[in-house]
Amino acid sequence: MSANATCEFQAKDYKSDLKPIWCPGCGDYSVVQGIYRALAAVGRPPHEVAFISGIGCSSRIPGYTTAYGFNTVHGRALPIAQGIKLANPDLLVLAAGGDGDGFSIGGGHIAHLIRRNIDITYLVMDNQIYGLTKGQLSPTSQKGRTTCTSPYGSLENPVNPLLYVLAYGAGFVAQASPTDLAGMAAIIEEAIRFPGFAFVNIQSPCVTYGEEVQQIKGLKAISENLASLGHNPADRLAAMDLAQHYGEKLHLGVFYRNPEPAPTYDALIRERQAALSKDAPPKERILDLFIKK
Amino acid sequence: MRKDLVFGMAGSGGDGIVSAGDSLLQAASAEGYHGVMTKSFGSQIRGGESSCRVRISTDPVLNPGGNLDVAVALNWEDFLKFGAELPVAGTTVVIYEAATGVPENQIPLVGVTPLQVIAVPIAEMAKSTAGTERAKNTVVLGLIAGWFGIGGEAVMKGISKKLAKKSQELVDANQKAFDAGVAFAKTHPLKADMTVEPSRTKGAVKLLTDGNDMCAAAAIFAGCQFFGGYPITPSTEIMQFFTHHVWKYGGAVLQAEDEIAGIGAAVGASFAGKKAMTATSGPGLSLKSEMMGLASIAELPLVIVDVQRGGPSTGLPTKTEQSDLFAAAFSAHGDVIRPVLAPTSVADMFRTTIEAFNIAEYYQTPVIVLSDQEIASRKETLDPIDTSQFKIVNRLLPTGSDLQDYKRFKQTENHISPISHPGMLGGTYLASGIEHVESGAPTNSGSVHARMNDKRIRKFDPLKDRRDLFEITGNPDAPLALIAWGSVAGVCREALQMAREQGLDVKLMVPYLLYPVAEQTYRDFFASVQKGLVVEQSHLAQTFKVLRMHLDLPKGLQSLARSGANPFLPGEIVAALHHLLSELQRSHEGKLQPQE
Repeated sequence: MSANATCEFQAKDYKSDLKPIWCPGCGDYSVVQGIYRALAAVGRPPHEVAFISGIGCSSRIPGYTTAYGFNTVHGRALPIAQGIKLANPDLLVLAAGGDGDGFSIGGGHIAHLIRRNIDITYLVMDNQIYGLTKGQLSPTSQKGRTTCTSPYGSLENPVNPLLYVLAYGAGFVAQASPTDLAGMAAIIEEAIRFPGFAFVNIQSPCVTYGEEVQQIKGLKAISENLASLGHNPADRLAAMDLAQHYGEKLHLGVFYRNPEPAPTYDALIRERQAALSKDAPPKERILDLFIKK
Repeated sequence: MRKDLVFGMAGSGGDGIVSAGDSLLQAASAEGYHGVMTKSFGSQIRGGESSCRVRISTDPVLNPGGNLDVAVALNWEDFLKFGAELPVAGTTVVIYEAATGVPENQIPLVGVTPLQVIAVPIAEMAKSTAGTERAKNTVVLGLIAGWFGIGGEAVMKGISKKLAKKSQELVDANQKAFDAGVAFAKTHPLKADMTVEPSRTKGAVKLLTDGNDMCAAAAIFAGCQFFGGYPITPSTEIMQFFTHHVWKYGGAVLQAEDEIAGIGAAVGASFAGKKAMTATSGPGLSLKSEMMGLASIAELPLVIVDVQRGGPSTGLPTKTEQSDLFAAAFSAHGDVIRPVLAPTSVADMFRTTIEAFNIAEYYQTPVIVLSDQEIASRKETLDPIDTSQFKIVNRLLPTGSDLQDYKRFKQTENHISPISHPGMLGGTYLASGIEHVESGAPTNSGSVHARMNDKRIRKFDPLKDRRDLFEITGNPDAPLALIAWGSVAGVCREALQMAREQGLDVKLMVPYLLYPVAEQTYRDFFASVQKGLVVEQSHLAQTFKVLRMHLDLPKGLQSLARSGANPFLPGEIVAALHHLLSELQRSHEGKLQPQE
């Protein structure tokens, strides 16, 4: 499918009537714009898109689109999203949430979606803080960070989301930021188009509880474009090397794109269904399995 | 001649005692007998104790039976570990391994003199005929065929079929071991004739399966196209059945990364428009409770099977109990009604599971099927089921005009709103765990919350009027009553028969719908009741307490409740009824006496 195969939909077709409830200046306003643009570029009609989130400021995002949305419970966007994709592989399935949702309370799920290679795009709006509960330590907060649950400074090392998903073998890993809206939209589009599990870490600043250096200006100061660094996205080890700088540098672009994507779980399920349904007795006769001759 | 025999056999894991029980039940079923088999183990895989109980009858079997008619102990240490699960009485013939060295008059059963005790050199016979002690279970089957007349040819036919794949030598060795058992029985006749009458339905087609497989088959029949779950004893076989068969019907199964993801995937599949299910046991039910709340507020159909085991926590993972009623009815926070159904046997697991899907789909709600370890793992012979008599209900989809201005949570007369799913043009909406207005948009409004709670709770009112979800037997005007559900119901059905034969005026209610409590159905049942028992395997008497929470119970209604694992015996329930009757008579006499 080429990038401009369908031009039927425009970004505004994916925007719902709900007015976003985010702080003025929140990075998530840009993220939702990026999602509208990416969906328009991909061109799937809104009713064929299922957009699933957990709990947190960023998890409000499905409601601001015209897709089928599901704002679920904390940390469980991915388990629910995988059920949707396996039940109906024809749908375009997006999952989204914050760093706490994805890497703390729901941290156990991502590894399994990656190893199953379910064709879902997962967008994490990473702001290194719990915003909705008013500023507690998050799994990606830097060591030493003072928050209202770490008044003397955090004693914990942060999770490195990029290294985490690369290590589990995700087929598509990228990072974006509202510092470059056009670039973010393009990355989300590429993630959606990737056949398999795709992960995009989006550095989306929290204007209320974030630190000065984490705001747009600070992010711009440490950002580097992976393409202009000459990074080859087919090189997984090089990607892991770069990913180690998470927290110090903001590398924007595609860290890794598997040049030979493996078959997706949902495609394998289709094959199995087709193979086994050929000679299946009607379900009205399922109890015949229990006849003892 | 007998109509009915109950066998209880115990040995070490690896003795093949459970496989002997399987062979016996299959042979009996092939001969047209009715039968039930339950198994009981320690929670280890090999070594340790294992036992089975097999009941064979010329008539349909209501439960695994009370006291054993025949006890088989391959060693006493393991047999005794099962205690009241394998009760020996004065009517029991006890057969045991002579190599234990225990004299027949010194067997280690306290306070009981069995009808007859026979030491048999089982291991020695196995070795001398088949060349290996591994044929001990085949010797036992020969003894049973010889003494009780069950399944002579059919047993060996079954064993030959199983072993023929391995080698003819093995078949011949087992035949010799079997013949040795039969010969021993013939040369050591029993004091009393304990042979079973020939089956009246020889050659009739019978089904043979357990509660877990029946549950999964019923789900697929009901149109379930997605199962998400996580292995946990004693529910795992439900997921295993799906992994074999659901693909054939265009469905999928996911062994998820944990219990939460298992139910989460099922919630997702339901959101995507498919009938979905998960299954678990106590600890898993605890983990799933947040997702159950989500499915309730998002009004998504979902069936959750909880195969109860002893709790709390790991508890008794391989033994049955009825202690999850509170968790099923009341776990997950907030004001919510979640229907809870309970099957009473393998046979009615089919109907109950279909009913669970129908209720889930119609009311757009999670429904819990409270199975238990006994029903889940017991094998029953069944008459074929006419599947065409079962109605399948599907969720209410929006019509073209609904989709003109679609409101997912629209207030309607019966509080049920048409439900769209991804892929449906015009039906897009936001599903959520947060409170929402009719369109699905989130709200913090207290008045909307009150209205929506009202919608989500009142939609269940008609469910409480479903009299077909209650089985009432005996004299409808009887002053004595029994109430029991799940696997205990079968014991009470037999107790009812026995009590009525003994002249007691008693009736029995078996609820298939446990929650919401159908108040009026109970009130009508209680109208004639002066004394009664709620019989359950729960130390806290959870059923009795749930009923008391919703109803003014008759003063004479009492609780007969205890912890799980050890089964209720029909005889003890009849004895309790006699006691109630004498209390009743005394109180009547008291009333009749003129006041001084």
